[in-house]
Amino acid sequence: MTAILTIDNVSHRFGSLWAVRDVSFSVERGELLGLIGPNGAGKSTLYNLIAGVLIPTKGEIFFDGLKVSHWKSHRVARVGIARTFQIPKPYRQLSVVENVMLTAFQHERSVSRARDLAIETLADVGLRDYVDVPVTTLTVGLLKRLEVARALAMRPKLVLFDEIMAGLTPTEVSTMTKFVGGLPARGITVIWVEHVLYAIMKTASRIMVLNRGELIANGEPAAVARDPAVVKAYLGEEMSLA
Amino acid sequence: MSLDVTQQSTGRLALPFLPRRGARVSVLEIFIFIVCLALAIIGLPQTLQDVAVLTFLWAGLALAWNIAGGYAGLISFGHAAFFGIGAYTSTILFVHLGLTPWIGIWCGGALAALFGALLALICARLRGPFFILSTLAAAEVVRIGALNWASLTGGPEGLSIPPVAGMTSMVFASKAAYVAMMLLFLLVVYAITKLLEGSRYGYYLFSVRDDSDAASAAGVNPLTVRTAAMALSAGLTGIGGSLFAQYFLYLDPTFVISPELSFQFGLLAAVGGLGTAIGPVLGSFLITPMSELLRSYLGNQAAGLHLVIYSALLIVVMLYFPGGIAGALTRIVSRKGKL
Repeated sequence: MTAILTIDNVSHRFGSLWAVRDVSFSVERGELLGLIGPNGAGKSTLYNLIAGVLIPTKGEIFFDGLKVSHWKSHRVARVGIARTFQIPKPYRQLSVVENVMLTAFQHERSVSRARDLAIETLADVGLRDYVDVPVTTLTVGLLKRLEVARALAMRPKLVLFDEIMAGLTPTEVSTMTKFVGGLPARGITVIWVEHVLYAIMKTASRIMVLNRGELIANGEPAAVARDPAVVKAYLGEEMSLA
Repeated sequence: MSLDVTQQSTGRLALPFLPRRGARVSVLEIFIFIVCLALAIIGLPQTLQDVAVLTFLWAGLALAWNIAGGYAGLISFGHAAFFGIGAYTSTILFVHLGLTPWIGIWCGGALAALFGALLALICARLRGPFFILSTLAAAEVVRIGALNWASLTGGPEGLSIPPVAGMTSMVFASKAAYVAMMLLFLLVVYAITKLLEGSRYGYYLFSVRDDSDAASAAGVNPLTVRTAAMALSAGLTGIGGSLFAQYFLYLDPTFVISPELSFQFGLLAAVGGLGTAIGPVLGSFLITPMSELLRSYLGNQAAGLHLVIYSALLIVVMLYFPGGIAGALTRIVSRKGKL
């Protein structure tokens, strides 16, 4: 049992609202963990806590043997946690490859080698043809892939994906699902927030469900899909995984 | 047209995408500098030498401003404070302590850089208009300080450098020497800008300008980057201020630390093209001679008319060429390339 990330009794409060309340879980090295829940359940808040954008009101976060609860986001990124943004945040005046180079700099200090790494990563997510294109000309689907490329060019130990399927066509969803499913084999631990349930249920080895800031289920996809509390809070009807 | 889901409303300038060439130098750039060098060496007629001095100096200062305003997205209307700190430091060291300006200009630059870093550390967490206002206010504090600390700065009466030409005093009898000095300053700031543009640090500036949340998720510390950019920009502006003092030989807070001067740095950069190396140079080369010539031809008959023409031109450029002259040129060149 080697947990890469441990969330220990973490809570976060916005004013009088507990966005995340007494959440505890850990993620094993090489795991692909799915995180689902209705809108406003606290998924994004939890991500922001892990990534150092927010500081927990209570509780601690440990990553790879380090206590990172009070670290700022750039410091968290430097020890190997990458993330995507639910609403893509590209550098608007840069080209596609330059957008990826900025995360590649974590690994390659030289501009030309960072460019090579960025191009390699872009090819990985199917953006090989868009290398020198202005980022503002990309469609939503391509921007989502760019977010993924930016996160992976950091060569992270842990990556937090936030709804990378939203706005994708069915073909794009199936390509992306396969791609994400292959990441643990490359030594990258994945936490994945997604509303496209069939994609995540098929790919993740474990699913956690957040509702109103609290963890209401945590287990194998099939078991979680049958859990009455999850059905009531989120799924609406029992889901068949046939 | 693609659906743009990244539209932001944070008050930052939305500039068009410009392809960069990194540290490579284009034919246009080489051409412009050869012309400048030739003019500086052959020697201009007396009246045009003054224009050349100011054109080169303002180009260098617009470039320095552009490092913060164009590359790091720190639109500052307080750069006159750095200019003034540089000018006063070298002059005070020379007039009061007899230290040669050859050393004094570096002290001026260092002090201005320190002040710039301090300003960024305190104010760079403010966004958009609030940052701009804080820089404007900081410069006013420096101006009022300089006006009231008369024992050091001479207060409202100003401070003069004895107009005695000499190597230690860094005062030259020939205007051509000043033309060469300002051209050298311009070339140095230009070289620094080009190096920055092609380097990792340059990309850090762009990332912080375009989206600081994404930058910190990429491991870039926005505060460090902004502070460094401001310090570099302020330091170069301070050196420019010292050089101005050596040329003008008289300093007075109401001009040297005026908001108008801060606006001028920013406007020259914006007209030429923010976030490009050639932009501020083109801006100054177009506007400084025009404004100087308009001033001398129209100054007597229609006082102030040159300012009207100057301002009208700025509005036209801002409206129709949002990427500045450099942006317009790039578009023309890339269109020709396709034909």
